[in-house]
Order: sequence, then structure tokens, then C-alpha cells
Amino acid sequence: MTPEQLALRDAVRGLLDKHSDVRAAIETPHGYDKDLWARLTDIGVLPIPEQYGGSGATFDETRIALEELGRTLTPSPLLASAIAAHALLTSTGAEFRGRLLRRIAEGAVATLAWDSVAVTATPAIDYPEVNAASDYLDGAARYVLDGDLAEILLVSDGEFLYEVDPATLSREHTPTIDQTRRLATVHLSNAPALRVGRWSPEIRDFALAALSAEQVGAAARALELTVEYTKTRVQFGKPIGSFQALKHRMADLHVLVETARSAALAANDEVSAAVAKVYCSEAFFSVAAEMVQLHGGIAITWEHDAHLYFKRAHGSRQLFGSPQDHIRRLTRFAHR
Amino acid sequence: MDLSLDAATIEFQAEVRSWLATHVRPLSSMDTPDGFEEHRAWERQLASARLSVVSWPAEFGGREASLLQWLVFEEEYHAAGAPGRVSQNGIFLLAPTLFAFGTDEQRARILPAMARADEVWAQAWSEPEAGSDLASLRSTAVRCDGGWLLRGQKTWSSRAAFADRAFGLFRTGPGERHRGLTYLLFDLRAEGVSVRPIAQLDGEPGFAEIFLDDVFVPDHDVVGAVGDGWRVAMSTAGNERGLTLRSPGRFLAAAGRLVELYRKNPDPALRDRVVDAWIGAQAYRLHTFGALSSPPSGPAASVTKVFWSELDVALHETALDLLGEAAPGWRDGWLFSLAGPIYAGTNEIQRNVIAERILGLPR
Repeated sequence: MTPEQLALRDAVRGLLDKHSDVRAAIETPHGYDKDLWARLTDIGVLPIPEQYGGSGATFDETRIALEELGRTLTPSPLLASAIAAHALLTSTGAEFRGRLLRRIAEGAVATLAWDSVAVTATPAIDYPEVNAASDYLDGAARYVLDGDLAEILLVSDGEFLYEVDPATLSREHTPTIDQTRRLATVHLSNAPALRVGRWSPEIRDFALAALSAEQVGAAARALELTVEYTKTRVQFGKPIGSFQALKHRMADLHVLVETARSAALAANDEVSAAVAKVYCSEAFFSVAAEMVQLHGGIAITWEHDAHLYFKRAHGSRQLFGSPQDHIRRLTRFAHR
Repeated sequence: MDLSLDAATIEFQAEVRSWLATHVRPLSSMDTPDGFEEHRAWERQLASARLSVVSWPAEFGGREASLLQWLVFEEEYHAAGAPGRVSQNGIFLLAPTLFAFGTDEQRARILPAMARADEVWAQAWSEPEAGSDLASLRSTAVRCDGGWLLRGQKTWSSRAAFADRAFGLFRTGPGERHRGLTYLLFDLRAEGVSVRPIAQLDGEPGFAEIFLDDVFVPDHDVVGAVGDGWRVAMSTAGNERGLTLRSPGRFLAAAGRLVELYRKNPDPALRDRVVDAWIGAQAYRLHTFGALSSPPSGPAASVTKVFWSELDVALHETALDLLGEAAPGWRDGWLFSLAGPIYAGTNEIQRNVIAERILGLPR
């Protein structure tokens, strides 16, 4: 990381240390801390160039912030807004881009409901089925990040990108096992839609890379918390972390986290983004599952944060396509 | 090995199957106050059909079923999707201890009430500073006129907030660690007991902490000899780790559901894991049948415990991966499976037991 990026990481980490209260945030009606979101956007973590009112940050900076948000599991509109901003920046006409990006830069929550069918052909599961009919959309999009809150709603039918006015549709918060992530179902019934650009698989790859960064942050923190605990929990007259059976497991987890970080950082095209999604999903899930086991009984309580990491790990593994979905996609490259 | 069933067992199997088919219905979570009482009522229904404790002697409410018949009962029970056993701590952990170490008076007084769920038992082993290292426990029982006074704190006591009585280990001295411990029974509603429920990761108050402040226990509620509690307790731990608490029926039923799920959502990327989980359940079943002549107890129970607890996690994880996000039917079992490698002695402790006491590796 450059000195500027290190400073950004410290600024975000400092902000979250001071202000992030996950338990309080998930109890609010919208599921995140609005003041914290305003402070975060002030720091400049959205990938929006200065000409569109942004801070000039790029994906490198966004990914640093996502890793930090992952560490603390802080519910935040950053992931959704960054994906929407990126889609606008890379795939839409200049006439729409400026207007929407400016609002996002000012902190308006934006999201993109994208057609996962193109990525994850799991027929038993009802993925967003949105059919463009001239300038009207019908169908439903599921698992839309911040979909019930977003002021700016972009929808893809797999071919085009549309801007849809949230006032013209119905949407509902759909709670999942992971309370730290806001997901919604968006119902489109003859909803007027403005065609603003073309869908590109590159948007998907960006989303996968962004999510991987968040997963790495969460995995790293879950391991840190576990290491800390095993240094202080005494049984048989010694900290349990001194037992080789536990040491080796945590050493293996460290290898996993570091290699996952490399995979996440390297994600910049179709193959590497899919690799990152698979690898980071499995790494985070392994760390979170071991976090529960290495903490023992305390991790089975509501009060302890281990279950929050565990549930986030499970939810993130499914989000934007499960590892096996991406593995199936990757086999096409392996056969070439 | 001949795994075919004899005529009496086939008849018993048919009776159990048909009874379950007419009586099983879904209940609320037994980790909630209302759900607990629903489960108590279910236990009473089982008891009235003499199905709550089939392997026990008739005088205590059982029908003297053989171990094979008990395994058959368990397979039928889980295949029918019957409710979790709210009385499991009593019937699977305390009762075998009473059969081995209790007095006739204790068995006559305690077991019939346990079989009917008139008294539901909780266990009181762990303390905040004594989990894996149970022998470091600090709660004491001090001699008094006609009995003992309990002082200290116990934790991770499943459903103690709703149960009636508890069994646990207390320091009576002299001696340290494994020496000077005594196995005692106490009333959870006695004067001096306070119970604080602890919410579990699913949000339900299934755990509890028990605070004991000079709680009186009469002499007749000492199990085994004073000072011999460790040995008595370890026999119970063997039951918890071994066959009784986690019969193969439970995993066979889950593996069957998993295979069904795969048929509906075939996913080549997960095929090997589904088959592995199914093989694991079959292997566990065969292992238990193989153990019919000598049920695993003591160190051998550790082998069983590592196997079933890790199998349970694998079964549920595979199911969730097959289903993706739409997995409500498996979610609760999955969260519960996470606790399997922790309770009844963590799998790290089990592996130490296997290494040191079975393989004879140096401590």
C-alpha cells in the first residue's frame, strides 16, 4: 500500500473503532448508522472521479474501506453504492452518468439489481427475472443489497442497465441469517425504466472483487479475535493458545487469510474475480467456523460476536453466486 | 456380521413406527418456556405408550428392550421427524449413572418420575473457569446437618431455566483437581438457587448459568461415594460422548433427507460431499451395530463423539450448500450442529483422550 492508502486505512479503521456499533445499527429501522455513512463518504471511499463530484478515489481505495468494514462487520451501504457507481462509470452514457454519480458522491444510497441468472444457472432458485419491455420492467429482483432503502435503483435484465424510480415499485426488506447485511426483494410491475447503459460482465467481476475484499477483512479480524481469546483463556493452568493442537489450527488459518488477501487483491478480470470469490468465501467460512470451535461454549451465545462472523461468512458465500456456481463457470476456462 | 432383525424386534419396530406415524407433530423450540412445556407433554405421551425409556427395566417405566431394539427405536424416531428429547440429560446421562452408582432408593425415587418427565433434569458440570479443564472446578459442597450446602456457579447448563432438577460435580475435599469431588443432585427451585438464561446464537434462551448460594442437598441425593465424584461423573460423560445421546438414527435420517435434497437439486459440484456424508452416516450406523456386544464407553466413547459431531456439521453444511439461501428447514439443525464438537467435552479433549488413553501416547 502507498502511504496515502495506509493513511486512508488508518482513517477508516479509526472511524470504525470510534463509531461503529454493529448491535445498535442492526436494531435501527434501516439497519445501518446514517451518521457513520456520512462520515465515511466524507473520507472519500467511493470510486467516483472528481469530475462527477467524487473524491477521486479508485477501486483500490474502495477495497481498503471494504476490508475495514468487513473487519468490524459494520452494516454499510458502501458495497451496494460502490457497485452502482462502478456500473454507472463504466457502462452508461455520459448524459446519465454525471447526474447519478453526483448524488451518490453526496451520500445517496445506490444499488444495482443485477441478473444473477447470467452468472449462476441454478434452476431451482428464483433469481431476478426482469424483462425489459420497451421502457417498462416486469418481474422481481431478489437479494438486492440495500434494495429497500436505496434512493438510486439500477436494474439490469442481463442486457441493459435501467434506472428505475423507487416510487414506481414495491420493495421489501428480506431478513436473512446475516443481520449485518441488508437485502431486499424488489417487485417491478410495469415500472417505467430509463435505459441508461449496457450490462457488462465486468460489473459482475467488480462486485465479486469488492465482496472478496470485505470477506478478507472479516476473516482476518475473526482470526485476530480468536488468537486473542486463546491467549487469555486459561485451562489446565495455561493459556489454551499454548497447546499445539490449537496453535497449528490457527497457523493454518493465518495461511488461509494471507492467501485469500492475495487472491482478493489480484481480482481484476473474469477468471481472477471468480477465483477470488471462491477462495475468499471458503477462507472466510473456514476461519469463522474455526472461530466458533476455538472459542468453545461462549461462541454459541448470542452475546458473543462469533456468530455474527459465522453468519456473515455464510451469507457472503451465497451472495453473488455460491462457490460451486463460480466453480462451474471456471471449469469452462480450465477446459480451454 | 448378521444385521437382520429377529421377529420380536421386527414386531417392536412395527409398533414404534405406527405409533409415531399417528402421534408425531411439530412442536415449538424446546429452548423456549412454552416449547419446553410442549416437549414435556410429548414426553408424557411417549411414556404413556411405554416408549420414553424403552431400554429400562419395566419397574421404572421401560420395557427392557435390547440394545438392538433401542437402536431400531432411535432409527424410527428420527426417521419420523419426532421432537427432540427434552428429558435427554436425565434419561441418557443421569439414568445410566444411577444404574451404575445409585442406590435402590434413588432409582425407585428418581427414575419413574424422569421417565414420565414429571422431573426434567439439567446438567451442572461446567463453570466459567472450568470447561475443557473440568477438574479445575471450584463450586463447593460443605457438610451440614443432614446433608450438604452448595456454593458456586455453573454454566452452559442447557434449559436449566425451565428444568426441575440438576446433577453436577462439587468440591467436597480433601484433595485437588480430580480428587475430593462429589456427584450431587439438587433442586433447581430450592432456596439459594438463581438461574439466569443465556441467549444462544439462534437468539433462544436455551443455555443458563446457575448461581448457588448455600443450597441444601440432603444426604440421599449424593450419587456414589463422597469424594468419588470424578469417577461417577466420567461414566456419565462416556454416555454423553458415546452412543446414547447421539444414536445413528439421527444421522441416518439427516443423510436420507440430504440425498432427497440432492435428487431435487442435483449439483455435480456437491455430489461427492453428499455421498461422503451419506457414507459417514452408514459407517456410523455400522460402527454402532458392531459395538452392540460392548457399547462404547470410557475412552472408546471419544472415538464416537468425534465421529458423530463432525459428521453432523458436514451433513448440515452440505445441505445448506445444496439449497443455497433457501434453507429454513436445515438452518436450526445447522446452528445446533456447531455446538456438537464443543459440548460433552470438546473434540480437542476427545482427541487427547484417544491419543493418550487408547494409543498410549505420552502426556
